[in-house]
Amino acid sequence: MDQTLTRWILPLIQVVLLVLLGPLVTGLIQKMKARLQCRRGAGILQPYRDLLKLLRKGTVQSDTSGSFFRVVPVLVLGATCAAATLVPVFFAPVTAGHAALLPLGDALLLAGWFALARFLTAIAALDAGGAFGGMGASREMTVATLVEPALILVIFSVAIVAGTTDLRVIAGHPVGMRGSFGAADLLALFAMLILLLAETGRIPVDNPDTHLELTMLHEGMLLEHSGPGFGCLVLAHHIKQIVLIAFVQALFFPWKAANTNPQALVMGLGAFILGTLALSVFLAIVESTYAKLRFFNLPQFLSISLLSSFLAVALRLL
Amino acid sequence: MSIGGLWIMLGAYGAGAAVSILGSRWGNATRVLGHVALLIGALAGLALAIQRLTGGALQTAIHVELPHLFPFANLVLTLDGLSAFFLLVVSIVTIAAAIYGPAYLKAHSGSSPAVEVLGINIFVASMALVLCAGDAMTFLLAWEGMTLASYVLVVSEGKKSNTRAGLIYMIMAHAGTALLMVVFLTLAVHAGSFDFAAMRTAAAALSGTERSVLFFLALVGLGAKAGIVPLHIWLPQAHPAAPSHASALMSGVMLKVAIYGILRLGLDLLAPATGPLPPSWGWIVLVLGAISAIIGVLYALQQHDLKRLLAFHSVENVGIILMGVGMAMLLTHRGGAADALAALGLAAALLHTLNHAAFKGLLFLCAGVVQTATHILNMEELGGLARRMPWTAWLFLIGAVAISALPPLNGFVSEWMTFQTLILASAYLRSGSGLVVIAVAAALALTGGLAAACFVKAFGVTFLGRPRSTHAAEAVEGAPSMLAGMVLLATVCVMIGIMPGYAMVLLDSPVMRLLGGVGPSQLITARGPLVLLASANPGTGTAVSMTAAAVLFGAVALVAWGIVVWPRALARRREPTWTCGMAPQSRFDYTATAFAKPLRFIFALLYQPKRTVRKKTGSTPYVLSQLHWQSDVVDLALVHFYNHVQAGVTRVANAIRQRSTGRIHDYIGFVLITLLVTLLVFGRG
Repeated sequence: MDQTLTRWILPLIQVVLLVLLGPLVTGLIQKMKARLQCRRGAGILQPYRDLLKLLRKGTVQSDTSGSFFRVVPVLVLGATCAAATLVPVFFAPVTAGHAALLPLGDALLLAGWFALARFLTAIAALDAGGAFGGMGASREMTVATLVEPALILVIFSVAIVAGTTDLRVIAGHPVGMRGSFGAADLLALFAMLILLLAETGRIPVDNPDTHLELTMLHEGMLLEHSGPGFGCLVLAHHIKQIVLIAFVQALFFPWKAANTNPQALVMGLGAFILGTLALSVFLAIVESTYAKLRFFNLPQFLSISLLSSFLAVALRLL
Repeated sequence: MSIGGLWIMLGAYGAGAAVSILGSRWGNATRVLGHVALLIGALAGLALAIQRLTGGALQTAIHVELPHLFPFANLVLTLDGLSAFFLLVVSIVTIAAAIYGPAYLKAHSGSSPAVEVLGINIFVASMALVLCAGDAMTFLLAWEGMTLASYVLVVSEGKKSNTRAGLIYMIMAHAGTALLMVVFLTLAVHAGSFDFAAMRTAAAALSGTERSVLFFLALVGLGAKAGIVPLHIWLPQAHPAAPSHASALMSGVMLKVAIYGILRLGLDLLAPATGPLPPSWGWIVLVLGAISAIIGVLYALQQHDLKRLLAFHSVENVGIILMGVGMAMLLTHRGGAADALAALGLAAALLHTLNHAAFKGLLFLCAGVVQTATHILNMEELGGLARRMPWTAWLFLIGAVAISALPPLNGFVSEWMTFQTLILASAYLRSGSGLVVIAVAAALALTGGLAAACFVKAFGVTFLGRPRSTHAAEAVEGAPSMLAGMVLLATVCVMIGIMPGYAMVLLDSPVMRLLGGVGPSQLITARGPLVLLASANPGTGTAVSMTAAAVLFGAVALVAWGIVVWPRALARRREPTWTCGMAPQSRFDYTATAFAKPLRFIFALLYQPKRTVRKKTGSTPYVLSQLHWQSDVVDLALVHFYNHVQAGVTRVANAIRQRSTGRIHDYIGFVLITLLVTLLVFGRG
């Protein structure tokens, strides 16, 4: 029974939690942004309402687009959900990675699934044959090439100490294992927060609130989608955001339940909720206080992340 | 079976070459028969390789003496684990090419079927012979055969640009061969024989410096064939010039033969009898790999010719393979955790060799179908092919996902293994060395991101949107036999992607042959074939189940499709894309040039982009009647090295021409002076 619990039931609960809470985090950030801008804003459940509305609607499809265009949304959702299975939320026993029957939890695979989702979204954007989609795809792929090396370095800066890239093992180690939260962790966290802004498509890298062609990256690619397919893509974006938030916590704030003791589980869940709230506040504040960067200034902004993650690795190794 | 299989394979290739005699009369029959022979040969090669690879890692090599042709050298064929693995790679792509070939060549009546059938059979046979060579003489002869046969294929269409590509290829290839000859002759002098076994013994007695000098000479010689930056310049010109299934073989397989040479010389023939290799070998191979990967993919991004783009990606992938090879060279025979990591690195390199052969072969064959259907390879004139050629489009997409190292396909698996090798090795090496290894890992990540961007461009601009030319608008799907060859390679990509554990058995005997110790199947699939495990010490490291991940991905996508999208498929309207109120036309589609523009801007240092804009105005300066826009990027190696070399050679040649007066007396004078100088310099002995 205990094995079923640790192997199947708890991981499943974690995934379902991520999928269900994804839109809530977006709603929360929107609400906080609205309050910071002295607006009342929509309720925090608005993203759920939007999704339900989209799922009920019919589809208008561009007459130049073909089968790819219809299949891509579900594939993107599939890749994002597959990524969601890889991060621990509140439960990460030390042995999870080493003893699991079919181990899932590798950080590189997580990056891979997100890259696949991005790749497919960009392809669908080119299918509709509008310049906006192409521009969005081109820019999104450009930003992604700059994000990827920094992301790998952040993962490696933690993995060098843990001896593995398995997030369940990294998050499951007692906090004492890595010693105190040192300079290397701080630099890597700084780098990761920049990447979080870029990957969740937020100011100063991208603007999630606009369809103005000069500023949009991710939204530009979704312009031609509609109905349930668009719903899948929007849901995938919500899930991606919360998965990344969970990913930051797994790497840097590994306060997870190490066993199935109810008290530990509640503590782990509480830590996750607090961490998610803190990062949502961070995203909302950054988005309300910064202006969007010009696209060709992004390389400099992202190279700060690359540099600090490289320094983090250097501090670990030297 | 073993020796028989070898003879069947070579016999079939020989028969295929012989069929070309019929060429002038019965063109079609020649094509079909020649490719059937090629198929039989490749199947025999596949059976032979699989039997050798799965038959236990420690079985002795197959040894065959060939007829005695030279007084100074015996010709010997030896098939050990390493040869067998590369023979497997060659055979898989050859099978696909042989199925694909006849229909493709029939549609491209550019050259005589005799030449093509002869060329491709001899080409594949020479590659197999290089891999099976048991002595330096056979190796060099087959190596030269491979070069010449592929040259014939490059120039077979008889266009002027192809001739130039062939010329550059010949120069580079022969410069490489010359270096290889120096290496082998030096070894032969020490060994007193051309036999590899004797050379291995003789090399053990070499001093460290001699060993390193020979290795680096060989690395340059083989690197010219493998397309290592900066020796890559011939590759993007020559590979696209050949017929597409021959391009698939050149890019997917011939480069691997050079990788085989690097492994054979670096880790086998020239390796010290005991102890680790000199550290400089591993470091240089590693750094060359990183440079090749980044430069290759960056230049690929700016190509608009589909086959040329793919050829540049071969440079990138050779770089990725060399990263694994470099790590193996660096860590082998250092004991304990390092040995396990060396095995992991070599396994990653070998698996990527197989993977790259599969997806690059697939992509070249897809490009061939596009060429057959439209007679265009310039992406800017294509577009919208997916609706006319759905099979090709989906197969190209599989290849694109695989080459971009995205899960759940095979490219991800081998890059994952390379990443794991790099991270574990940097933790093992620590300090500055560890940091260099991490920098290589960051380079690999950058490469992956750029490759993904490049294939969004290649796939999106070629297959999606609206057709940009009438040829593209009237394209038709390729012949079933062409598609069958492509499906075969796509299946390999998918199978290795979702069930990589089962492929590890194939890597056992080459890895154990080169590094000793335990094979990858015991290291990487220690926890069963469904789990990949990368670890330096037992009980640590990273485990991941690609199978479970792929099943999850597929299940979620299917459920989402079944519940959400499909039930509402009927409520779908088709409307034109909104283009700000204008009538949509193909000029609104994003072009390849535009797509790659941000990256051209960001990496301007490497591209040195040049742009010329010529405007012609009408009666007023505000109305443009004509606009000419041209944008170019340069290949740094070409501009900063080869062009200078070429200019130097031309200057010398011009100087000689000025002094060539045509009078016999002068020439006799030159000969006398040369003789005198020669006698003064060398005649004292």
